[in-house]
Amino acid sequence: MLRYGEPQVAVGLVFVVLALVIVALFVTVARHTVSDVPFERVQAVGYWLRKRWLAFLCALLVVVVGLSLFELPYARGSPRTVVHVTGLQFAWIITPSELPRNTPIRFDVTSRDVNHGFGIYDPHGHLIGSVQAMPGYTNRLDLTFHDPGVYHVFCLELCGIDHHLMQSSFTVR
Amino acid sequence: MATAAVVHPRALELGLAEPRLSERRIAWAFAGSGVAVFTLMGLAGLAMRLTQANVLALSPTWFYRLLTLHGAGMLTGALLAMMGALWYVLRQVVPLDLGRMLASLLLILLGAVCVIVATLVGGFGTGWTFLSPLPFHPAGQWHMWATATFLVGMLLVGAGFFVFCLDVLIKVTATYGGLRQALAIPFLRGSSDSPPPPQVLAATVVSLEGLLASALGTTVVVAMLGRTFDGAMTLDALWAKNLIYFFGHSVANLIIYLAAGVIYVLVPRYAGRPWKTTKPIVVGWLFTLLFVTFAYSHHLYMDFVQPTSLQIVSTFASFGASVPVAVVTIYTGMMLVWGSRYRWTLASSLLYLGFAGWLIGGTGAVLDSIIPFNFRFHNTLWVVAHFHTYLLLCVIFWVLAFVAHLLEQAAGRTAPRGATILALSGMVVGGYGLVGAWYLSGVLGVPRRYAVEPVGTAGYALAGSIFAMIFALGLLVLLREFVRLARAAREVGRYEAVERVDSWTGSRYRSRQRRESTGFDAPLPEVAEPAGALLTTPAQYAAMTAVAVVALFAFLPPIGRAAEQSTQYHHLLHAGQFLLGVTVGVLVASLPAVFGRLRSRHSHLGIVAVVAAPAGMMLAMTPSIYAPLDHRPALHFLYHLGIAALGVVTGLGAGTLGRVTGRFAAVLAVSMAVLYAAGVGGG
Repeated sequence: MLRYGEPQVAVGLVFVVLALVIVALFVTVARHTVSDVPFERVQAVGYWLRKRWLAFLCALLVVVVGLSLFELPYARGSPRTVVHVTGLQFAWIITPSELPRNTPIRFDVTSRDVNHGFGIYDPHGHLIGSVQAMPGYTNRLDLTFHDPGVYHVFCLELCGIDHHLMQSSFTVR
Repeated sequence: MATAAVVHPRALELGLAEPRLSERRIAWAFAGSGVAVFTLMGLAGLAMRLTQANVLALSPTWFYRLLTLHGAGMLTGALLAMMGALWYVLRQVVPLDLGRMLASLLLILLGAVCVIVATLVGGFGTGWTFLSPLPFHPAGQWHMWATATFLVGMLLVGAGFFVFCLDVLIKVTATYGGLRQALAIPFLRGSSDSPPPPQVLAATVVSLEGLLASALGTTVVVAMLGRTFDGAMTLDALWAKNLIYFFGHSVANLIIYLAAGVIYVLVPRYAGRPWKTTKPIVVGWLFTLLFVTFAYSHHLYMDFVQPTSLQIVSTFASFGASVPVAVVTIYTGMMLVWGSRYRWTLASSLLYLGFAGWLIGGTGAVLDSIIPFNFRFHNTLWVVAHFHTYLLLCVIFWVLAFVAHLLEQAAGRTAPRGATILALSGMVVGGYGLVGAWYLSGVLGVPRRYAVEPVGTAGYALAGSIFAMIFALGLLVLLREFVRLARAAREVGRYEAVERVDSWTGSRYRSRQRRESTGFDAPLPEVAEPAGALLTTPAQYAAMTAVAVVALFAFLPPIGRAAEQSTQYHHLLHAGQFLLGVTVGVLVASLPAVFGRLRSRHSHLGIVAVVAAPAGMMLAMTPSIYAPLDHRPALHFLYHLGIAALGVVTGLGAGTLGRVTGRFAAVLAVSMAVLYAAGVGGG
């Protein structure tokens, strides 16, 4: 059974707030379409406001994207406990399938046939991340598991008729 | 045309051009095809969502077939409708070619037929992204003919869009005197005070980006087509993914930018204020050109072998692409309607609602373009949610707004207020409810493209299905109003009001009489010829000759032997031979005597040449075609000459398209050959 993950809920809430602000703005503008305001007046106020709006968005871009660069999921540093993952229509081969907790794990993910998506769900049903499995390439993902239990793997890239059945699991002790 | 009754009273003072008969017909052909495709594909989408809700019982086989058809069909339908709409508004200032537009329509419709056959008959079910090598691993679900048919379909759709973009670029650069002028750069720098109207900026950016995307798409599709017939051929999966997403993402993205060009013309008609080219608009479009080019890589965030630098550039580009939209296009639209006594009709209401859909959907997409967030949302239903927000609740709203605009103009009246409110309420509540269920499912981590969704999530699918049906009911009310407006338009078109005098009483009365149908299409203001030869100065001739001399090395035996080290090097040799041909073609086509003969009479053939010859060259590079010639030197040499000859044809063809378009087409053709060499192996 899937559960709402905390980071996803946070992003979802940000989205809901922004969407509501957008709706409020559109309702406000719509209510002011019936009046008759000289266009010169609209332009004077609009252009003044637009410069600040542009500055705000540019600052937001730099801050948000800049901060995100510190949290990239791409593997760095020396090899750790390595788990070999191979996707194939329609199964996962995960070796070893029992992993230690509180230990940095490196997943070496590849595919034997077509593109697959290695999506990891924790024992509570939260999606904690994914990486693509691509034939001819090995994608390296670093993760540390703190919660013991059975972690489920769903395929997150359409790979054929039984894509939705391509599931597996590994255990963290 | 009875326009005064359905637009803003001040709109007539703006001097907006009346559409010609041919423009109205093209608009109807494209918009009609688009709306029909959208309606049918929407039903396919509803069937899939009901299956996920356990209400219908589509087998996985049929689910993935419909998934593929729905994705490819929706994008094709929206593309068609918006191409027609942009052509309609652009031709009022730029003399676009009617025949080329019809050729484009024919190619895209033929492509759509191929996709329908491949999916519904052939069982092809890879999703519209057809990521290599899935089309060649059908797991018993489809035959290779279905793969080939689907790929031919994609090739035809790409070719149709390519032809459209070529004609737009040829004509805008010819009309405004060059690419810089069409992009209003002299205006930006203060050396000109008469920039082109904003729809020209949109069309120029779309055509440049569309040509690039179609060329890259053609490269990977032709390579995959070769792989369909040559099992020993290998395609690099990362290479294929990059090219497919560049093509798919860009085309999907360009639909909304095509639409932007349309709203520049439509919104002023209801706001009674002009949408002029300003410096912020020019800067916005230049940044859009840059951002759209690099944004596609966000589809590969979870392919960790993709260079990290490209991922970071893509993050900035994906977020950055929203800035011109939010600060220039939508913001200016809101300024135009604020305090304007906006003329609320069915068409103008759909236009207004579309702005909101673009902004809300864009917000969801921007959040997903942040790499750490994407790590948790990649290929979940969040993605489905945000692209449906701006495709369904912006692009489709604008397609319907365009159709409503045409109908209201032709009928001389608007749709009734009650029906308008009913239809739009259903579509807004249903549409946002539908995508809301996807957003929630995305937060929950439900994977996208699942015939059977994880246990416990069917409720979201059921809620989404119910909202989709509410949307469909709203759409039905809207379509009913379209039919009524069409009937009214027919009456207006057939009859005209006249004043008569009663011969008995002498009193005057109003009557109606049948209009005389002239079938007359007002002439275009001026037919712009493709401007200028590709090479004009001695230095340009010298540089091109130097490139030809270097490319000649591709025919030297030692180079040929060295190229036998690998298939990639061998294909690079072919690319060199093709480059030689292109340079020779360009040099010949630029000679004044030749150019004078070519440009006016053969530009249609030129378009055929730059579309077909590079594709033919790459198809001829399928290893199973040239490998048997290895031990037959004479035939082998002739094969290499043939590759160079295709280059000559491309160069000559490019020479007929004008300086900007011709040079760009020639560079794209050579780039396709080199890119092909980089990704194709085996054989």
